[in-house]
Amino acid sequence: MDTINILWRNMKWRFQNPISIILTIIQPLIWLVLYSAIAGQSMKNMAQGNYTAFILAGIMVLVILSCCSSGGYLNFIMKTKGSFYRIVIAPVKRSSIVLGQILEAVFLSFIEISIMLILSIFLSVHIASGFTGLLLMLPIIFLTAFFMSGISYTISLCLPNEAIYETIMNLIVLSIFFTSTALFPMDSISGGLKIAVTINPFTHVINCLRNLVLETTVDLQNVLFVSSLFICLCCGSFTLALWRLKKETIQ
Amino acid sequence: MTAIKIEHLVKQYKNGVRALNDLNIQVEKGEIFSLLGPNGAGKSSLINILTTYYSPTSGTVTILDKDLSKESSWVRTQIACVAQHVSIDEHLSLMENMMFQSRLYKVNNDTARKRIDTLIDSFGLSQYLKYPVASYSGGVKRRLDIAMNMVSYPKILFLDEPTVGMDISSRKAMWEIMRKIRDDFETTIFLTTHYLEEADQLSDTICIMKEGHELIQGKPSDLRQYTRQNILRIGFSNIEKIKKYAKMLKGVQMLLPLNIRGNSIFTDCTEDRKTFEDVNRWLLEKQIPFEAIEMVQPSLEDVFLKLTGTEMR
Repeated sequence: MDTINILWRNMKWRFQNPISIILTIIQPLIWLVLYSAIAGQSMKNMAQGNYTAFILAGIMVLVILSCCSSGGYLNFIMKTKGSFYRIVIAPVKRSSIVLGQILEAVFLSFIEISIMLILSIFLSVHIASGFTGLLLMLPIIFLTAFFMSGISYTISLCLPNEAIYETIMNLIVLSIFFTSTALFPMDSISGGLKIAVTINPFTHVINCLRNLVLETTVDLQNVLFVSSLFICLCCGSFTLALWRLKKETIQ
Repeated sequence: MTAIKIEHLVKQYKNGVRALNDLNIQVEKGEIFSLLGPNGAGKSSLINILTTYYSPTSGTVTILDKDLSKESSWVRTQIACVAQHVSIDEHLSLMENMMFQSRLYKVNNDTARKRIDTLIDSFGLSQYLKYPVASYSGGVKRRLDIAMNMVSYPKILFLDEPTVGMDISSRKAMWEIMRKIRDDFETTIFLTTHYLEEADQLSDTICIMKEGHELIQGKPSDLRQYTRQNILRIGFSNIEKIKKYAKMLKGVQMLLPLNIRGNSIFTDCTEDRKTFEDVNRWLLEKQIPFEAIEMVQPSLEDVFLKLTGTEMR
């Protein structure tokens, strides 16, 4: 109940401030529309000639990263406006406070990814795995957003102000994005960079989502592997966020 | 019956600043308790501890007979705090703000609606229901902030400088609200303020603190009697004259340290009549153009300045 109450409040804020939605989706949109059009010329051999379909999975992850960064930013607004203090001293479970805020970023991620998927139809992308593939994308997107939102929440409580937070989050998001298979396939990467790309958990999310976009058959084993990996990561990030919030108060 | 009992409370931050230093305070149930102190006295640190936001370094705090450090979850259900800055959500409507707060405190919807109606009436908010919260004036926002925090009918309401920045008429309206909260809702009010007049008018008990330690606690009338000696007031027509003649007066051996407020110089009198005559004679002899000279009873402000040692010397 507390979680839903906090989630409702945060979603109200989000819809009353549509600029925060536009800002988080604008950069991934530019990547999807402009970058895919320009780079698509030299990447014709990928994804049966449709580079937009190839990078869609990476862009979906970029959307998640942007939404989750924005979710952490909410803490700074709440601290400035005083509602953070008001909620923290209320008889509400710390886990509900964290969960309410994490779920807001997850919910936002789903909205923006839906927009992205609808837009990609106009860019000649179709999900090869069909409705089953779309359904399988849901838990993967949920887990990825949940994990990243927990991390953003923790970082936002560790940093003194929003300027530093934004800088750090940009650094993290860009590092994750460029050391993954978001823009290029794994077999075109070699050396130390390949190791970095392989150990990046988001690479596996992108590969899994890409398979669902490009392939007609579903690699269920891969979906299960990524889901299991991210369930563990989600537990870790939620625990970290909870620990950081508790550190702010008496308990 | 004791609402809050603070014993040997110490709060030391990681940077070494000792905000509270062996603080001892007792607040009775159903009273308005005012905590006075200059900036940096530790008032906000204390509120943060009492509202379970910070943990103390040492000492014990008992709220409604429960140990705060052991039963903070229960304490949270019994208290509410109106912070220094208005903390309402401007993206929510007045009713949504109230409902959100009631859900935080697990007040069921039917009870919440009844309470909200009562609070809206009590705090004169009904005429603002149809307008967006962002368009409210500072005073109305503050009223909503207090009403929101009252929706759980807390046993203790903390108010951290609630009238700061308000004009005198808004402040007086706020005092009425605080009295109403105490009388109608039987809530204990723990108030921090800078305004002596506010504490004097409102409080059942006043505590003055400085550098994290209580200096004195008592009824407003008791505190006024604390300085039994009378005070000599010398009035001037303007502040420039005060500045000019204060230097001369400081050199006069018969006067204790001076304290300037408004267009007057105040000083303690050790021997009432003799000091009055001597100073009067001295002023006339030196042809100092004073406007008034009189013996006055110490105000609460005098007690405050005397105890906190912030008078101009």
